[in-house]
Amino acid sequence: MRKAIAPIVAVIIVGAGLATFFALHKLPEPVTSTYFLMDTVLTIKTTGGDATAINKHLHALASNVDSMTSYYKSESETVHVNAAAGKGPVSVSPEYAALLKAAVAVETIDHGRTFDIAIAPISSLWGFTTKDFRVPAAKEISDTLAYSHSDELVLSGTTAQLRDSRARIDLGGIAKGYSLDVMEEYLLTVKPQPRQVIVDFGGNLLLYSGGRKHDWKIGIRDPRGQGIIGYVRSGDAFVATSGDYQRYFERDGKRYCHIIDPTTGYPGTLNQSTTVITTIQPMHGALGDALGKVFFCSTAETQRSLFHTVQGQGITGIVIVDAAGARSTLGPITLVPTAVQ
Amino acid sequence: MKRSDRITGLIILAAIALVAVSWIVMHRTPGTLAVIHVDGKVIATVDLTSREPQTLHITGVLGPMVIVADGKGSIRVTESTCPDQICVRTTPARSPGDQVICVPNHMVITVEGKGTGIDALAQ
Repeated sequence: MRKAIAPIVAVIIVGAGLATFFALHKLPEPVTSTYFLMDTVLTIKTTGGDATAINKHLHALASNVDSMTSYYKSESETVHVNAAAGKGPVSVSPEYAALLKAAVAVETIDHGRTFDIAIAPISSLWGFTTKDFRVPAAKEISDTLAYSHSDELVLSGTTAQLRDSRARIDLGGIAKGYSLDVMEEYLLTVKPQPRQVIVDFGGNLLLYSGGRKHDWKIGIRDPRGQGIIGYVRSGDAFVATSGDYQRYFERDGKRYCHIIDPTTGYPGTLNQSTTVITTIQPMHGALGDALGKVFFCSTAETQRSLFHTVQGQGITGIVIVDAAGARSTLGPITLVPTAVQ
Repeated sequence: MKRSDRITGLIILAAIALVAVSWIVMHRTPGTLAVIHVDGKVIATVDLTSREPQTLHITGVLGPMVIVADGKGSIRVTESTCPDQICVRTTPARSPGDQVICVPNHMVITVEGKGTGIDALAQ
């Protein structure tokens, strides 16, 4: 009889062990929150920690950045600087001054000058600020280009000045990435730490797993349809995508996207999408966001030489889908193609 | 064969069956589901595996919208009261992770379902 009990006990122990393994193996349920700001969607998915409170706080941080940088909100620092164009320097907050400096720093990386926060008057010409789209005449564009250049912006400590009264700045090309920087800085201080946080802010991703070093699988959206063309792997990162497929208008069968090439004053047509992956470091969210536009408005040749310049600065890799739909990558990343679904 | 051996055998078989059943239940792939949000709240879900075409008349924050699931696995916005009509132009959503967004109406359609293994979508 005693012999019969031993295997029963063994089975119970093994069973209990398996049950415990499965129970512990399951992650806590993620909390997903969706918000609307900066004319786009902010989706935050937090797993573990005080997820609901974390999502709320991250949204509040993004709202603060919006209030500071908005091109439209009357109390923003951008509106303040723009309203004083041609009238002399205005004082700005240290945070805003730092963001302006970061934006101008990207412009200096880029010899071709394909990112410029002072391109706003050209974007207005095309109707991207009012959504009253039109194709401007070549003369209008060349006249407006003369003052749509960040050479008009003079930064000194915490003062900013636009020299020409018609010059305007718009931080829309860097503010979402910068919001992710602010969020990441906060996440580092949260106790208890969440297991995972995925923030998707209108094409800019923050992938955060704290010290867990999660191996993320990032799907690359098909620029000419739904679904993905493949995926890349990365540790915690900022991932910024610039594409011609979300904000654009069509006239006479031609597509005009919202990303303007500051050298020509016309929407970029060289690529369908560019995705820039940067490491989790201060201001790298903003850097990736701005560089996305730089690579979007560059030829394959310029992309390669630019990549050599920025490679040591926290840029992990870049995924490019060119105007013909051809895919390529720069840096030590591999695009694993998915079978057509 | 002893009686106790037979009992042990039965118990082991039962244990294996239990583990197998719980494994299958836990890893079962759910049907592809389109979840429609307005202003962050779920207002409708549509089973995209259903062969029945379905038309939904919903209200976004700006006004009425029409959403059509075609009965072949795709869902799209066909009418919207918004200035830019980006949502109407968006390619219909069908695979897990696909989205159709109308920012002015605070409306998001997200396709959910397991099987992609993708953590996040760069778009």
